[in-house]
Amino acid sequence: MPSADVIVDLLVPYAPASPDIAHESFDGDVVVVDLANGKYYSFSDSGSAIWLALAGAAAPGDLIGLGVFADAVPEFVRRLCEYQLIAARPDLAPAPLDGAVAERLRSCSEGPDVTVFDDMADLFIADPIHDVDEPSGWPVVKQD
Amino acid sequence: MRTSQHQAVEPSTIGRYGRALLDLAGSVPGHGLIEVDIRLPFLDLRVRAPEGPMLDAVRSALLPSTLDLPSKAVEVIVLHGGRDGVPKPLGWGQGAYVPHRISAELRAAGLQGSLFHDLRFWQFIDLAAGRGVQLMAAPEAFPPWEPGAPLRAFLHWAYADRGFRLTHAGTLGHNGRGVLLAGSGGSGKSGTVLAGLLNGLKSVGDDYVLLEADRGGVRAFPVFSTLKQDPAGFGRLGLASRIGPRPLNWQGKHQFGIRELAADGVAEDLDIVAIFLPRIGSGSTRITPASPREALLALAPSALYQMPGERESGFRFFSGVVNSLPAYHLGLGTDPAEIAGAISAFIEAGAP
Repeated sequence: MPSADVIVDLLVPYAPASPDIAHESFDGDVVVVDLANGKYYSFSDSGSAIWLALAGAAAPGDLIGLGVFADAVPEFVRRLCEYQLIAARPDLAPAPLDGAVAERLRSCSEGPDVTVFDDMADLFIADPIHDVDEPSGWPVVKQD
Repeated sequence: MRTSQHQAVEPSTIGRYGRALLDLAGSVPGHGLIEVDIRLPFLDLRVRAPEGPMLDAVRSALLPSTLDLPSKAVEVIVLHGGRDGVPKPLGWGQGAYVPHRISAELRAAGLQGSLFHDLRFWQFIDLAAGRGVQLMAAPEAFPPWEPGAPLRAFLHWAYADRGFRLTHAGTLGHNGRGVLLAGSGGSGKSGTVLAGLLNGLKSVGDDYVLLEADRGGVRAFPVFSTLKQDPAGFGRLGLASRIGPRPLNWQGKHQFGIRELAADGVAEDLDIVAIFLPRIGSGSTRITPASPREALLALAPSALYQMPGERESGFRFFSGVVNSLPAYHLGLGTDPAEIAGAISAFIEAGAP
């Protein structure tokens, strides 16, 4: 669940929060899936660029100043942490920002944003034995 | 194998239970099992099962292939508990049954498997040995979707192990080339496949098709013959007069085979040239570009959810498919012949 008190350290790299977080980039257009719960995440153009920068182990602070949406980087990183997609890795040294990703950040036309698709999430995480309504059975998930 | 009705399977014992059932399946002498061999694309499937609805489904819903492809042999043995010395299937205990974690437990034991709890319907496979077992509490004790795609889980595991994917999508094609139709229920996917078949196009299936994506392109192959359509679409397309009345399936849909609708409607394989994302529309059919991201979000989630295990490799597989094919929104017109004509013209012209 999202945590309200995530503090973003701009000087350290971030990495996927667990091995269940997988991403693919389609010409810079990023889709992330949490394989543990079935949620998919789709990003705006600057959101995709920030994700790719972080995936390359750049520190968020290195993104500030790049493009018109750069000031929104800390808040966006905080949101990704709240979604438990990434976590700070102070034990690792940050890597230099990739030049192509930096250029992409400069040319973005949308603010950093992420859309969550959770159509399948209930079915992914449900225990089909203990978490379903008895009269209906799987795949009707018990509603608390 | 000795079991008691009071025993229950837990996450920590599911691997041992699966292994015990596989050992049992390998040692049972005959037991009145009927042997059915079906040559599927890349898979020589041998099913040993008692006569009954499950074997009927295997005979009617699987589509034998005549293609000469490098194949692996897989045997699936179907057993009825409480019969011929086969123990009744155990139930599940108190430990959480989280499919993702269960799959990891089983993989560590060299297995894949699943349980449909309501019916104590167990399926396990040892991919290295090429042998699977399905233990049922009674001849009719299978999930309602099983007759439309019998042994689907075994085929999924066997194909995924070799880098292929059973994929929840429809297909239409012409002269060996075709398109993949991806979308959630209500998008018009199945109606589009039917419209195409009624108007001279071919298909390698709706619902589940086999995809190969590692030889410089994407090829689709038929595995199941099953088509489904809700009563409204069934009536709109005039299917009652073609294939006659039949009871509705568990989803409240009419279910029938491709060849019942079009005798020569099954293509042996299709070179896929594009992914179509159908949408119910009005007027005439429109084909407009879609992003790879939209295609992945249409194709991957249901395919990953409906196939137990192998989620990450599935995500990578579908990402590869999306990366290698152009994607289009297919705004559906209202005339089946016009829809089929638009798709046929697109395939003929080649993807832009």
